[in-house]
This record gives sequence, C-alpha cells and structure tokens, in this order.
Amino acid sequence: MLRFPLLGITLVCALLPAQDKATAYKNARLLPGGQPPIENGVLVVGGGKVLAIGGADTAIPAGAAVVDCAGKTITPGLVDASFRASNSADMNENGDEVTPHLRVLDTLDPDHRSFARARAAGVTAVHVMPGSRNVIGGLGCVVKTFGTDPRAMVLKEDASLRITMGSEPSQENRPIRGGGVDSIYYRRPTTRMGVVWEVRRAFFDAKAAMEQTAGAPPAAPNPGIEVLTRVLKGQLTAVTTARSEQDLRTALRIAAEFGYRTILEEAQDAHVVIDELVAAKTTVMLGAPSATVVAGSAGGDGADPRSATVRLLADRGIPFVITTGSNLQSLDLVREAMFAVRNGLSATRALDAITIEPARLLGIDQRTGSLAVGKDADFVVWSTDPLDPASVAESVHIDGLSVLALR
Amino acid sequence: MERLLPVRAGRAAPFVSFAACLCLLSPSRAQDIVVTAKKVVLATDAVLADGAFLIRQGKVAFAGTDIPTEARKKATVIDYGDAVIVPGFVLPPTTLGRDRDLAEASLPFTPDLRAIEAFDPWQEELAKLPAFGVTSLLLSPSPRNIAGGIGALVKPGQDNGVVATAEVHLALSLTQVARNPERPPTSLMGAVDMLRSAFTMAKAGTGGGPDVAVLRSALGGSRRIVIHADLHVELAAALDLAREFGFEPVLVGAREAEKVLPRIVAQKAALVLEPLRPEQRQAQLRLPTLLAEAGVPFCFGGRADQLRTSAVLAVRAGLDRKAALQALTRTPAQLFDQHTVVGSLRAGCGADFLVFTGDPLDLTSAHVATFIDGVRVFGEAGNAPKPHNAAAAAGAR
Repeated sequence: MLRFPLLGITLVCALLPAQDKATAYKNARLLPGGQPPIENGVLVVGGGKVLAIGGADTAIPAGAAVVDCAGKTITPGLVDASFRASNSADMNENGDEVTPHLRVLDTLDPDHRSFARARAAGVTAVHVMPGSRNVIGGLGCVVKTFGTDPRAMVLKEDASLRITMGSEPSQENRPIRGGGVDSIYYRRPTTRMGVVWEVRRAFFDAKAAMEQTAGAPPAAPNPGIEVLTRVLKGQLTAVTTARSEQDLRTALRIAAEFGYRTILEEAQDAHVVIDELVAAKTTVMLGAPSATVVAGSAGGDGADPRSATVRLLADRGIPFVITTGSNLQSLDLVREAMFAVRNGLSATRALDAITIEPARLLGIDQRTGSLAVGKDADFVVWSTDPLDPASVAESVHIDGLSVLALR
Repeated sequence: MERLLPVRAGRAAPFVSFAACLCLLSPSRAQDIVVTAKKVVLATDAVLADGAFLIRQGKVAFAGTDIPTEARKKATVIDYGDAVIVPGFVLPPTTLGRDRDLAEASLPFTPDLRAIEAFDPWQEELAKLPAFGVTSLLLSPSPRNIAGGIGALVKPGQDNGVVATAEVHLALSLTQVARNPERPPTSLMGAVDMLRSAFTMAKAGTGGGPDVAVLRSALGGSRRIVIHADLHVELAAALDLAREFGFEPVLVGAREAEKVLPRIVAQKAALVLEPLRPEQRQAQLRLPTLLAEAGVPFCFGGRADQLRTSAVLAVRAGLDRKAALQALTRTPAQLFDQHTVVGSLRAGCGADFLVFTGDPLDLTSAHVATFIDGVRVFGEAGNAPKPHNAAAAAGAR
C-alpha cells in the first residue's frame, strides 16, 4: 500500500512505458465475453490494447514478456452498469427536484474508496449516475475505475439521464431540519403522485419547447430542457430507477405517454410485471439479485426481491444486465453473477451480464467489455473460474496497467 | 532608544500613537526619508549590501546608487544598522474574520458585490497585522458563496486602514462551506453547474444582469478569477471550468493540490496554500517545494500569524529561501496584478517593509519593525544600530 498519492502517481508514470512492451498471458482459460471459452489460451496485450487472443498456437511477439497462467482464468474487466460512487451529499442537488442538466462527472472523486473496492473485485468500468433523491437527477457517465483525473477516466460522458420513481425523491421534502415552511425542503413532491407530476411536467415543458422551436426563432437557452429534448428525440438513454411493482408500471406508463425509451434500473419487482416488460421491449438493469430485501433509503418502497427473477428475465427473453446498484445488501459484482448462476442462469449468460452486455447497453463495447483485438486491455486474471466462490482477482488490468497494487 | 506604542487597542490609542508619530518621532510625509541597513532586499532578485532606499510621499522613489546625492543630503535618515530589511508580507484573500459582512447569506451567486463596501478601517484584526509582518492584504468576499464578489487590496495603517486598490479579483468558491444545505446549490454538482451556466451566459454575448457582466469582464481579462477549492474533486472541477472558459485560475486552499499537479502546471494555475504547521505530514510540508520545482506560482494564505512560520517550514522541507520569501511578498502581489503597488521595494511601490535582526526565514531573527507607506506602524524606531537581539543577529550573519 502506498502511503502518499503522489508516490502512486509517480509509480503510474514509471509503469506507463511498460505498457508499450507486449505481454503474453498463456496457458489460461480465456472467457472473452460474448464468445465461447478458449482453453489453454493466449492473450497478448501491449500499448494498452489487446494485440492478439486465441488458442495455444497464437503467435507471441518476439521480446514479449510471458506470464504463465496455468490453472487461471482470464475474463474481460467487469462492467458495472449501476455503481454507487463518491459522496452522496454531492450527488444529490437538493436545490431543485428536476435537475436534468447536472453532471455527476463534476463530482466524481477518483480517490474514493468505492473505486478501489471495485478494482479489487475485478470491475474496470462503471456507470455512475447522480443520486436518487431527485425526481430527475441529471446526467450519468461511464468511467474506468482507475485514474487521477476524472476526465481522463471517461469512456462516455453523457451516458444516461437518471429518473427516479418511488419514495426516495419525496423523502426529505418536509421541513425536517428544524426549519419552517419556508425551508427549501418544504416543497413538492411529498408523495408518489407528486413525483410523477414532476416528471410529467418536465417532459411536458420539453415537448412544448420542441414544438415551439420547430421553425421558430430559438427560445432562451435552457440546459435542462435541452437534455430532456435529447431523451425525447432518442439521442440520450433514460434510466428510470424503480423497484416496486407500482413504480415499474409508472415508469413504463410515463415513457409510453411521452414516447421515450427507458431502461429500468434496480427493478426488484420485475418478476411481477414480466408481461409488461416483454411488451415494452425494455431493458433491465437488475440491482443486486442476491439481495433478499431492499435495504437503505428505498427500503420502504415495498419491493419484494426474488432469487428467481434473473432467470425469469432470461427465459422471457428480456434484455438485462446485472448490477450492484444502490441496495446496501449488494455484494461484489462477480458474486452477484454467481448468485444468478445459483438461481438457474447459465454461467455464460451470467458473465456476459457483467461484461459485454452492459458494455453494449452503455455504448462502450467498441472499447471494452470483451477481449478482442484492438480493444482496451481491460482484463482480470482470476485464481480459478470467477464464478467459483473461492475465486479471487489476482491481478486487474486497465489499459494494460496492473492496478491492484496502486493507491 | 525611541519607542512607539506598538499595539493599539480600541479607538483612543491610535490617535495617541498617530499624534506621537507625526509630531514627535517620525519625519513628515512631505519630507524624503532614506532608510539604511546592512542588507536591504528590494526584491528577491535585487539585494543590496549596506543598502539604502529613499521614500518620497510614502513610496519608494530610489534605491541604492540611484538615490540622487542632493536628495539624500536633504532626507531624514533612518538607520537600522546590522538589520535586514525585506518587503512587507502580502496576505492573500481573506475575510479577516468578518464573514458576517463578507458572506451575503441571502443568495449564493453575488459576483457583483464588492468587499470594499464591508471594509472597516478601524477593525481590530487589521491593527494586529503589522505585528505579523503583513503590510497589505486582499480583503475578499467569503468562500461561503459560490460567487462571492470582488476583492480589494487594503492596508493596515498608522491609525486606521486604507484602501490601496478598490477592485482586484473575482472570488468564486466550490468548497464545502459554499454548498449550503439550507439553500441551493447543496451539492458540488449544483455548484459547478451554477458557475458553468453563468460563464456560458457571460461568454454568449451581452445578456444577463450586472452579475453576469462581472463574469464577462473577468473572462475578458479585467481581473483574476480566484476559486476556493480544497479537495481533489473540487480542484478538478475548478480546473474543468478554467479549461472550458479559457482562464488561468488562482486556486485558494488547494489542500489536495498534489493530486492534480500535472493539470495545475498545464493550465498555468496558481495556488494560495493553507498555512503549514509543524505537525503536518512531510508530503504536505513538501508541497511548496514540489510546486516550485514544477514552476507553479504559489503563496501562503490563511492566518497572518502563520505566514512567516509557513515559509520557514517550507524551507525546512526543502524550499529555496528566495522562493519562500517570494511566496510571502512578490508572488501574492503578482498573482493579483498588484506588483506595481506592493510586494517589493522597487521604485513606485509603497514603502511597505519589515526590519529583522537577521534572515526573516530564520526563527532566531527578531522582528524589529514594520513600515507601511513609509510610516512605522509597529516596533522600534530606527537610528538604533544596536539590533533588538544582538546575539541572534550575529548568529544570522
């Protein structure tokens, strides 16, 4: 463990040239993501990219460092499509309920312990969204889990717009801080009805602005309306956090009403509304399938998580990914996939649900999410099969750099 | 040896010392004064042995051999013998404990407010500054507001303080104290957005009210943009804004500056550091040295009574002595474009200087006197070649 961050930075700089030299990992079991496994495979990386991947006969460049990975398994770096990072006080702007244009990237702290924990668990890319205390929280981004400059970690800047259903956005809207009715916290919404009213009003205003600007001189710039307009035009993905049955239905209803597509996040009660999900052809970011209850501020929402939900989604052909989400009971991402396998999901589907599937969903699959020539060298060397409870991530690489020992 | 009352309490005492100074002990402001000492540091790159400089109307008029013989003959000479004279210290943005008057609580975004309106020339804290070597300071709106307002350069005085430059810098803040749970913005996201929106409007054209106009003028180069930011994430956000809107910021606080050092260098940002304390970790004490090596301009801020010890601790941790003295004098003046007014003893600058028995960065050197605009406001009078602490003086040289 390095004591001073500056030394960490220095060490990174010292290690950077090493990336340029090719390194071959041989005799490993390769699970490339979206492709069949390769036994006794060879993975060659250099310059931060995957140079070659294949069977035992894959050519190893002259001068390459060779690492014998006999008995070990190599997977792509894991991708967590809903990851909680940083200080929640700074990820929830309490000044307003609807803040579509606020960017979580502005408050991302690369030194936060959540990133170190994610790296240790083999996660190399995460989708971070603003907190769930606002009805429309703002813009999420996808970043790698190692770096010193948040901007340099970005894989996709405006990756999503977070909308939250349920009780969370209304929880603090009472004069609870010793203030009177003139406190900024005494405001709508204080109910689920109020939450929906805020979403509906926001999209109504955005739609009105779109219609007004068609052929007319542009109105005064409104960054919030501009973001919502991008969602309505299908240029930006909406991610609606909804856990209980009623909130999932509401999320689908509002999306249909205004004609935008939304991903459903958390979705613990997906098993109850499975037919609606099929009909809406929506994608689910399933939060912490191992959890038996929803813990934390959304615990009162009445969601009823079931172990079988993940298999049900697979059986009904609903696109889904597995995430750690915001449930305080969530485990490491790979352990969540392991639980999904225990509940009937195939190992390949489970691994894809934490690698290539979330990468595709987030639009970063050209860079990461699977092991393929030309992609970023984001991979994990596991002591054994990653879905084995005894497996540990022995080394985690981001852009070819081994990051477990750093910071 | 003649003595002045060095400390003034309340409002009656200043009048006593003021009268005493004018009538009995000090030469008239209309009369030229020549100050001499064994070593005179006009600026860190201009040091005179057995040096002298001539003060006219409160400003340095000539130094060293440039002093006209005639003028020298007519001037009153104040000789500090074996002492060392250095420019007075410049204290970077501070509210001098007057947050009540410098943090407009009703609104978070008040860039058009001026600190000068809240300047109390008779403030007790102001009168204490000369004892710590501070001869000028940047009175600044509080970092409790996202955009606090416009700061001023002020000076303590013989009796009451004076304004040297009414409008200097624009003070912004992304620190924790600016994110107030009782009014928006409550989060860093919201704080950054508030500034981004305002800068966007400022850059877009001529719209907006007087508040946006202040930002527009600052972006146009009229004044330095100062951003209070302590943590990595706050500093990164401040640097993002600077990059997006094309300015070179002065970052105040900057506790985690080493984490964004490459960006600070690349974006030509400058830093106002928190005071150093002996119990801090070596990494923190070494930060000034790292900044100097990287070519980042920096100065020491925070409390006046910790300015000198901060510089001493930085020297102990490896900082070059010249760079340390510069961080107390010339650099803060330069960062706020006040270097033609304060921060050195070059011709044209105010005659703000400190007299020490030896190197001011040696803690065995005693602080003998402080002059502001050519008037002694603290310590012992000149014409007393015997230093305050003869043994220390001998040791220092």
